[in-house]
Amino acid sequence: MQSIELIREFLRDRLGVLPEALVPSAQLVDLGVDSLMFAELLFEAEDRLGISIEATKTPPQSIGEMATMLDEILAAKAAS
Amino acid sequence: MITHRRVAVTGLGLVSPFGGGVDQFFEQLMAGKSAVRFLTTDDKPRSLAMPFVTCQGFDPQQRLGKPLASMMERFAHLGLAAAFDAWADAGFEHRPERVGDRTNWGCVWGTALGGILAFERGYRDMWQNGRERLSPLSVLMGMNNAVNAHLSIQLALGGVSMTHTVACASSSVAIGEAFRRVRSGESTVMVTGGSDATQAYGVARAWEAMRLVAVGDEETSPTACRPFAADRGGLVLGEGGAALVLEDWDHAVARGARIHAELLGYGTNCDRSHLVRPDSLGQSGALTSALKDAGLSPTDIHYVNAHGTATAEGDPIEIEALKLVFGDVAHRLPVSSTKSMHGHLLGAAGAIEALVTVLALREQSIPPTAQLQGRLDPLCEGVDHVFEGRRRVPMRAAISSSFAFGGSNAVLVFRSAQISTH
Repeated sequence: MQSIELIREFLRDRLGVLPEALVPSAQLVDLGVDSLMFAELLFEAEDRLGISIEATKTPPQSIGEMATMLDEILAAKAAS
Repeated sequence: MITHRRVAVTGLGLVSPFGGGVDQFFEQLMAGKSAVRFLTTDDKPRSLAMPFVTCQGFDPQQRLGKPLASMMERFAHLGLAAAFDAWADAGFEHRPERVGDRTNWGCVWGTALGGILAFERGYRDMWQNGRERLSPLSVLMGMNNAVNAHLSIQLALGGVSMTHTVACASSSVAIGEAFRRVRSGESTVMVTGGSDATQAYGVARAWEAMRLVAVGDEETSPTACRPFAADRGGLVLGEGGAALVLEDWDHAVARGARIHAELLGYGTNCDRSHLVRPDSLGQSGALTSALKDAGLSPTDIHYVNAHGTATAEGDPIEIEALKLVFGDVAHRLPVSSTKSMHGHLLGAAGAIEALVTVLALREQSIPPTAQLQGRLDPLCEGVDHVFEGRRRVPMRAAISSSFAFGGSNAVLVFRSAQISTH
């Protein structure tokens, strides 16, 4: 699954975000992602993508940043 | 001087094992229809196979929406759905523009098992399926106060928000404690009730081991729960949720709300003798104190919705307690246990039975103890057992009682709104 799709699905299903708001520039906090839901989003991404996100990673602010972060981790995993 | 506000029941809601709403639920009970079915699961290491009451048609995502539903466990799904129904029945909107009006409104909930399924699923995932971690939401899904917390947020209730756990008396205690807050004037409106998801694997297995659970198969399960019957074989576990909206009487009248009944009295005490063996002296003490709290005498009571779990030990003791309190008039006191049809909802039992008691008064109709006709245990004689639904029975007041493991007793006294609106 593509990172961006995972994020969009999560925001739609878990927070009821409307499809038109799911653009890469959208800020996660504006879509209702608080610290709890951010932890849940990271948990779900780790689970479904089979990756591990280090606690020291700088938290992404937007949908686009989040997708980039996940893609980078996936790429690193594929290369190793 | 202590001022007492009158307390109106202005909202009723439940998740019904029959499907449909409150009125359809009551009609099923009046007809003596059992919701008990044979339950089989694919649990490891051994499947459950027992008579059970399940709310099969209940779809939490459809009722609550996916975002809210995914934040909570099944007992909270059942609780929120029931409470939202009661809230709509009372004619309130979820979050008004001026939340300041609800600063002293609150929620007191009851549950015995709470969010146990969140952790049961977690253990299963880790110990059976080899997962190493749990979702961060598990903490919030598993907390026993999840229902009152979600309700206070969803309905903008700024007052007290808490949950009572008193085994099988949990929600009777919750309703009683909510009642006291409205009566004292501390709260104008309270949403109260209880919910439990009793299908937790470890819980069902543990109840089986106590040899208190009725056995059955596909064919016999619907009649497996037989309170007060000579051949009773134990209780039948059920899941569910039921809710009442309690409201300051004058507030309810001023806004033209429909008043289902008046909540008039509450009594609670402890047997202080044994963890599981009930005590007729303790129970009669709770009944007497509830009557006193209501300012009523035994002759005012025209129906008792009994705790009546269908255990060998419990049923005769409860009848004995009723005879102690009602004395000469006990033999003409209508008594029924609707657990024969909706099962034992543990922490939600008091709430669903309080709802039945309110409906009995509103409809002036008494639901029966199903499966009792021709089977009455001589040890349970001495009251007017209701074998078939009775309609057009003039009733002024009625009682709902819950007697818990641990010896905690809780009794609620309701009065008909038709009679009390003079």
